[in-house]
Amino acid sequence: MTELDNIIHQPVRLRIMSALVALEPGGQMDFIFLRNLLKATDGNLGAHLEKLEDAGYIRIEKTFVARKPRTFISVSDKGRDAFTQHIAALKLIIKTSKG
Amino acid sequence: MDTANNENAQDSLAAIEEIMKQTRKAIASAHTNPLLIFWGILWVISFASAQFYLAYAHYICWSMAAVGGVGTFIIFRISHTQPFIQSEHRLRIGRRILCSWILLYAYVFIWLAMLAPFNGLQINAVCSTAAMFAYIMIGLWVGSYFMVWLGLAVTATTLIGFYFLPHYYCLWMAFTGGGTILCTGLYIRLRWR
Repeated sequence: MTELDNIIHQPVRLRIMSALVALEPGGQMDFIFLRNLLKATDGNLGAHLEKLEDAGYIRIEKTFVARKPRTFISVSDKGRDAFTQHIAALKLIIKTSKG
Repeated sequence: MDTANNENAQDSLAAIEEIMKQTRKAIASAHTNPLLIFWGILWVISFASAQFYLAYAHYICWSMAAVGGVGTFIIFRISHTQPFIQSEHRLRIGRRILCSWILLYAYVFIWLAMLAPFNGLQINAVCSTAAMFAYIMIGLWVGSYFMVWLGLAVTATTLIGFYFLPHYYCLWMAFTGGGTILCTGLYIRLRWR
Protein backbone atom coordinates (compact mmCIF):
# COMPACT_ATOMS: atom_id res chain seq x y z
CA MET A 1 0.00 0.00 0.00
CA THR A 2 1.33 3.43 -0.94
CA GLU A 3 0.21 7.00 -0.29
CA LEU A 4 -1.19 8.94 -3.21
CA ASP A 5 -2.24 12.54 -3.78
CA ASN A 6 -5.91 12.44 -2.82
CA ILE A 7 -6.75 15.62 -4.75
CA ILE A 8 -5.46 14.20 -8.03
CA HIS A 9 -6.52 10.60 -7.43
CA GLN A 10 -10.27 11.34 -7.76
CA PRO A 11 -11.22 9.98 -11.26
CA VAL A 12 -12.54 13.22 -12.80
CA ARG A 13 -9.65 15.29 -11.44
CA LEU A 14 -7.19 12.65 -12.62
CA ARG A 15 -8.61 13.01 -16.14
CA ILE A 16 -8.53 16.81 -15.94
CA MET A 17 -4.88 16.79 -14.86
CA SER A 18 -3.96 14.23 -17.55
CA ALA A 19 -5.53 16.39 -20.27
CA LEU A 20 -3.82 19.56 -19.06
CA VAL A 21 -0.42 17.91 -18.59
CA ALA A 22 -0.65 16.66 -22.21
CA LEU A 23 -0.18 20.30 -23.25
CA GLU A 24 3.32 21.71 -23.33
CA PRO A 25 4.31 23.92 -20.32
CA GLY A 26 2.55 27.30 -20.58
CA GLY A 27 -0.25 25.92 -22.75
CA GLN A 28 -3.86 26.82 -21.86
CA MET A 29 -6.98 24.83 -22.69
CA ASP A 30 -10.43 26.28 -23.33
CA PHE A 31 -13.09 25.23 -20.78
CA ILE A 32 -15.54 24.05 -23.48
CA PHE A 33 -12.84 22.03 -25.24
CA LEU A 34 -11.94 20.35 -21.93
CA ARG A 35 -15.62 19.74 -21.10
CA ASN A 36 -16.22 18.07 -24.47
CA LEU A 37 -13.02 16.06 -24.21
CA LEU A 38 -13.95 14.69 -20.79
CA LYS A 39 -17.66 14.42 -21.63
CA ALA A 40 -18.42 16.20 -18.36
CA THR A 41 -21.14 18.68 -17.43
CA ASP A 42 -20.40 22.36 -16.79
CA GLY A 43 -21.25 22.10 -13.09
CA ASN A 44 -19.30 18.92 -12.43
CA LEU A 45 -16.23 20.11 -14.29
CA GLY A 46 -16.42 23.54 -12.62
CA ALA A 47 -16.53 22.01 -9.14
CA HIS A 48 -13.49 19.80 -9.76
CA LEU A 49 -11.56 22.65 -11.36
CA GLU A 50 -12.22 24.75 -8.27
CA LYS A 51 -10.72 22.04 -6.03
CA LEU A 52 -7.64 21.79 -8.22
CA GLU A 53 -7.30 25.58 -8.29
CA ASP A 54 -7.61 25.77 -4.49
CA ALA A 55 -4.77 23.24 -4.24
CA GLY A 56 -2.67 25.44 -6.53
CA TYR A 57 -2.45 22.71 -9.19
CA ILE A 58 -4.11 24.67 -11.98
CA ARG A 59 -4.67 28.29 -13.02
CA ILE A 60 -8.01 29.52 -14.36
CA GLU A 61 -8.00 32.62 -16.53
CA LYS A 62 -11.21 34.34 -17.61
CA THR A 63 -10.79 36.54 -20.63
CA PHE A 64 -12.55 37.93 -23.70
CA VAL A 65 -11.80 36.63 -27.19
CA ALA A 66 -13.51 38.49 -30.04
CA ARG A 67 -15.77 40.14 -27.42
CA LYS A 68 -16.95 36.77 -26.10
CA PRO A 69 -16.14 35.54 -22.57
CA ARG A 70 -13.78 32.57 -22.53
CA THR A 71 -12.21 30.54 -19.74
CA PHE A 72 -8.75 29.06 -20.20
CA ILE A 73 -7.19 26.53 -17.85
CA SER A 74 -3.53 25.64 -17.48
CA VAL A 75 -1.56 23.41 -15.13
CA SER A 76 0.83 25.14 -12.71
CA ASP A 77 4.41 24.03 -12.01
CA LYS A 78 3.20 22.78 -8.62
CA GLY A 79 0.43 20.80 -10.34
CA ARG A 80 2.84 19.31 -12.86
CA ASP A 81 5.18 18.21 -10.06
CA ALA A 82 2.30 16.76 -8.04
CA PHE A 83 1.06 14.87 -11.10
CA THR A 84 4.54 13.46 -11.77
CA GLN A 85 4.81 12.33 -8.15
CA HIS A 86 1.34 10.80 -8.30
CA ILE A 87 2.31 8.73 -11.34
CA ALA A 88 5.52 7.68 -9.59
CA ALA A 89 3.44 6.56 -6.59
CA LEU A 90 1.10 4.55 -8.84
CA LYS A 91 4.07 2.84 -10.53
CA LEU A 92 5.58 2.08 -7.13
CA ILE A 93 2.36 0.38 -6.02
CA ILE A 94 2.42 -1.85 -9.11
CA LYS A 95 6.12 -2.60 -8.71
CA THR A 96 5.76 -3.38 -4.99
CA SER A 97 2.81 -5.69 -5.53
CA LYS A 98 4.72 -7.60 -8.22
CA GLY A 99 7.90 -7.74 -6.21
CA MET B 1 -3.45 11.22 1.10
CA ASP B 2 -4.97 7.92 0.10
CA THR B 3 -4.09 4.32 -0.42
CA ALA B 4 -4.59 2.11 -3.45
CA ASN B 5 -4.10 -1.47 -4.48
CA ASN B 6 -2.35 -2.83 -7.53
CA GLU B 7 -5.49 -3.09 -9.67
CA ASN B 8 -6.59 0.44 -8.81
CA ALA B 9 -3.12 1.77 -9.65
CA GLN B 10 -3.09 -0.01 -13.01
CA ASP B 11 -6.55 1.36 -13.85
CA SER B 12 -5.44 4.88 -12.94
CA LEU B 13 -2.31 4.65 -15.10
CA ALA B 14 -4.37 3.30 -18.01
CA ALA B 15 -6.88 6.17 -17.59
CA ILE B 16 -4.03 8.73 -17.60
CA GLU B 17 -2.51 7.23 -20.74
CA GLU B 18 -5.88 7.09 -22.49
CA ILE B 19 -6.92 10.68 -21.73
CA MET B 20 -3.48 12.02 -22.76
CA LYS B 21 -3.79 10.15 -26.06
CA GLN B 22 -7.34 11.46 -26.56
CA THR B 23 -6.21 15.01 -25.79
CA ARG B 24 -3.43 14.91 -28.38
CA LYS B 25 -5.79 13.43 -30.96
CA ALA B 26 -8.54 15.99 -30.24
CA ILE B 27 -6.05 18.84 -30.63
CA ALA B 28 -4.64 17.37 -33.84
CA SER B 29 -8.16 16.82 -35.16
CA ALA B 30 -9.34 20.36 -34.45
CA HIS B 31 -6.22 21.76 -36.12
CA THR B 32 -6.19 19.60 -39.22
CA ASN B 33 -9.65 18.29 -40.12
CA PRO B 34 -11.07 21.59 -41.51
CA LEU B 35 -8.03 21.99 -43.76
CA LEU B 36 -8.06 18.37 -44.94
CA ILE B 37 -11.81 18.44 -45.68
CA PHE B 38 -11.49 21.77 -47.50
CA TRP B 39 -8.51 20.66 -49.62
CA GLY B 40 -10.04 17.23 -50.25
CA ILE B 41 -13.24 18.79 -51.66
CA LEU B 42 -11.16 21.26 -53.68
CA TRP B 43 -9.05 18.46 -55.19
CA VAL B 44 -12.11 16.38 -56.09
CA ILE B 45 -13.93 19.30 -57.76
CA SER B 46 -10.97 20.80 -59.59
CA PHE B 47 -9.39 17.54 -60.81
CA ALA B 48 -12.74 16.16 -61.95
CA SER B 49 -13.46 19.45 -63.77
CA ALA B 50 -10.02 19.41 -65.39
CA GLN B 51 -10.65 15.88 -66.74
CA PHE B 52 -13.90 16.88 -68.44
CA TYR B 53 -12.78 20.37 -69.54
CA LEU B 54 -9.21 19.64 -70.59
CA ALA B 55 -8.94 22.83 -72.64
CA TYR B 56 -9.39 24.85 -69.43
CA ALA B 57 -7.23 22.60 -67.24
CA HIS B 58 -4.59 25.32 -66.69
CA TYR B 59 -7.18 27.86 -65.58
CA ILE B 60 -8.80 25.29 -63.31
CA CYS B 61 -5.42 24.46 -61.79
CA TRP B 62 -4.56 28.12 -61.06
CA SER B 63 -8.06 28.77 -59.75
CA MET B 64 -7.68 25.80 -57.40
CA ALA B 65 -4.39 27.23 -56.09
CA ALA B 66 -5.96 30.68 -55.58
CA VAL B 67 -9.12 29.36 -53.89
CA GLY B 68 -6.98 27.00 -51.80
CA GLY B 69 -4.71 29.84 -50.65
CA VAL B 70 -7.62 32.11 -49.70
CA GLY B 71 -9.54 29.26 -48.04
CA THR B 72 -6.49 28.18 -46.02
CA PHE B 73 -5.96 31.78 -44.88
CA ILE B 74 -9.62 32.06 -43.79
CA ILE B 75 -9.44 28.75 -41.87
CA PHE B 76 -6.26 29.92 -40.11
CA ARG B 77 -7.90 33.26 -39.25
CA ILE B 78 -10.98 31.55 -37.78
CA SER B 79 -8.88 29.15 -35.67
CA HIS B 80 -6.72 32.10 -34.54
CA THR B 81 -9.69 34.23 -33.45
CA GLN B 82 -11.47 31.30 -31.74
CA PRO B 83 -8.62 29.39 -30.11
CA PHE B 84 -9.31 26.30 -28.01
CA ILE B 85 -5.67 26.00 -27.03
CA GLN B 86 -3.49 29.01 -26.25
CA SER B 87 0.20 28.35 -26.43
CA GLU B 88 3.17 30.45 -27.52
CA HIS B 89 4.94 27.23 -28.49
CA ARG B 90 2.11 26.16 -30.84
CA LEU B 91 1.88 29.65 -32.32
CA ARG B 92 5.61 29.57 -33.13
CA ILE B 93 5.30 26.09 -34.70
CA GLY B 94 2.27 27.24 -36.73
CA ARG B 95 4.15 30.25 -38.09
CA ARG B 96 7.13 28.08 -39.02
CA ILE B 97 4.89 25.58 -40.80
CA LEU B 98 3.24 28.42 -42.78
CA CYS B 99 6.66 29.87 -43.75
CA SER B 100 7.84 26.39 -44.77
CA TRP B 101 4.83 25.96 -47.10
CA ILE B 102 5.43 29.34 -48.76
CA LEU B 103 9.15 28.61 -49.16
CA LEU B 104 8.51 25.11 -50.52
CA TYR B 105 6.21 26.40 -53.26
CA ALA B 106 8.53 29.32 -54.05
CA TYR B 107 11.31 26.79 -54.64
CA VAL B 108 9.02 24.47 -56.64
CA PHE B 109 8.25 27.38 -58.98
CA ILE B 110 11.96 28.22 -59.25
CA TRP B 111 12.81 24.61 -60.15
CA LEU B 112 9.94 24.42 -62.64
CA ALA B 113 11.07 27.68 -64.26
CA MET B 114 14.65 26.40 -64.54
CA LEU B 115 13.69 23.01 -65.95
CA ALA B 116 10.88 24.21 -68.28
CA PRO B 117 9.22 23.37 -70.63
CA PHE B 118 6.77 21.01 -68.96
CA ASN B 119 3.37 19.73 -69.88
CA GLY B 120 0.34 20.20 -67.60
CA LEU B 121 0.50 16.62 -66.37
CA GLN B 122 4.10 16.99 -65.20
CA ILE B 123 3.49 20.35 -63.50
CA ASN B 124 0.47 18.94 -61.72
CA ALA B 125 2.30 15.81 -60.57
CA VAL B 126 5.24 17.91 -59.29
CA CYS B 127 2.93 20.29 -57.36
CA SER B 128 0.87 17.41 -55.93
CA THR B 129 3.90 15.41 -54.79
CA ALA B 130 5.51 18.60 -53.37
CA ALA B 131 2.40 19.10 -51.20
CA MET B 132 2.59 15.49 -50.05
CA PHE B 133 6.31 15.89 -49.33
CA ALA B 134 5.32 18.78 -47.02
CA TYR B 135 2.67 16.59 -45.32
CA ILE B 136 5.27 13.89 -44.65
CA MET B 137 7.84 16.36 -43.30
CA ILE B 138 5.30 18.11 -41.05
CA GLY B 139 4.09 14.70 -39.84
CA LEU B 140 7.64 13.67 -38.95
CA TRP B 141 8.40 16.97 -37.20
CA VAL B 142 5.26 17.14 -35.08
CA GLY B 143 4.94 13.37 -34.58
CA SER B 144 1.61 13.04 -36.45
CA TYR B 145 2.09 9.75 -38.21
CA PHE B 146 -1.30 9.87 -39.94
CA MET B 147 0.12 12.85 -41.89
CA VAL B 148 3.10 10.73 -42.93
CA TRP B 149 0.85 7.87 -44.10
CA LEU B 150 -1.51 10.27 -45.86
CA GLY B 151 1.43 11.90 -47.67
CA LEU B 152 2.87 8.53 -48.71
CA ALA B 153 -0.53 7.20 -49.86
CA VAL B 154 -1.33 10.22 -52.04
CA THR B 155 2.24 10.28 -53.43
CA ALA B 156 1.82 6.62 -54.43
CA THR B 157 -1.54 7.28 -56.12
CA THR B 158 -0.07 10.32 -57.93
CA LEU B 159 2.79 8.21 -59.30
CA ILE B 160 0.43 5.41 -60.37
CA GLY B 161 -1.78 7.93 -62.20
CA PHE B 162 1.22 9.69 -63.76
CA TYR B 163 2.93 6.57 -65.12
CA PHE B 164 0.08 4.15 -65.78
CA LEU B 165 -3.05 6.25 -66.37
CA PRO B 166 -1.91 9.48 -68.06
CA HIS B 167 -5.16 9.81 -70.07
CA TYR B 168 -7.29 9.58 -66.95
CA TYR B 169 -4.82 11.28 -64.63
CA CYS B 170 -7.15 14.09 -63.48
CA LEU B 171 -10.07 11.76 -62.82
CA TRP B 172 -7.74 9.37 -61.02
CA MET B 173 -6.38 12.20 -58.85
CA ALA B 174 -9.87 13.49 -58.12
CA PHE B 175 -11.00 10.19 -56.63
CA THR B 176 -7.81 8.72 -55.20
CA GLY B 177 -5.86 11.86 -54.22
CA GLY B 178 -8.76 14.17 -53.35
CA GLY B 179 -10.81 11.27 -52.02
CA THR B 180 -8.02 10.13 -49.70
CA ILE B 181 -7.50 13.65 -48.30
CA LEU B 182 -11.25 14.19 -47.87
CA CYS B 183 -11.85 10.79 -46.23
CA THR B 184 -8.88 11.29 -43.89
CA GLY B 185 -10.29 14.68 -42.84
CA LEU B 186 -13.75 13.19 -42.26
CA TYR B 187 -12.34 10.19 -40.39
CA ILE B 188 -10.32 12.45 -38.07
CA ARG B 189 -13.33 14.71 -37.52
CA LEU B 190 -15.60 11.82 -36.59
CA ARG B 191 -13.22 9.57 -34.68
CA TRP B 192 -10.71 11.87 -33.00
CA ARG B 193 -12.98 14.16 -31.08
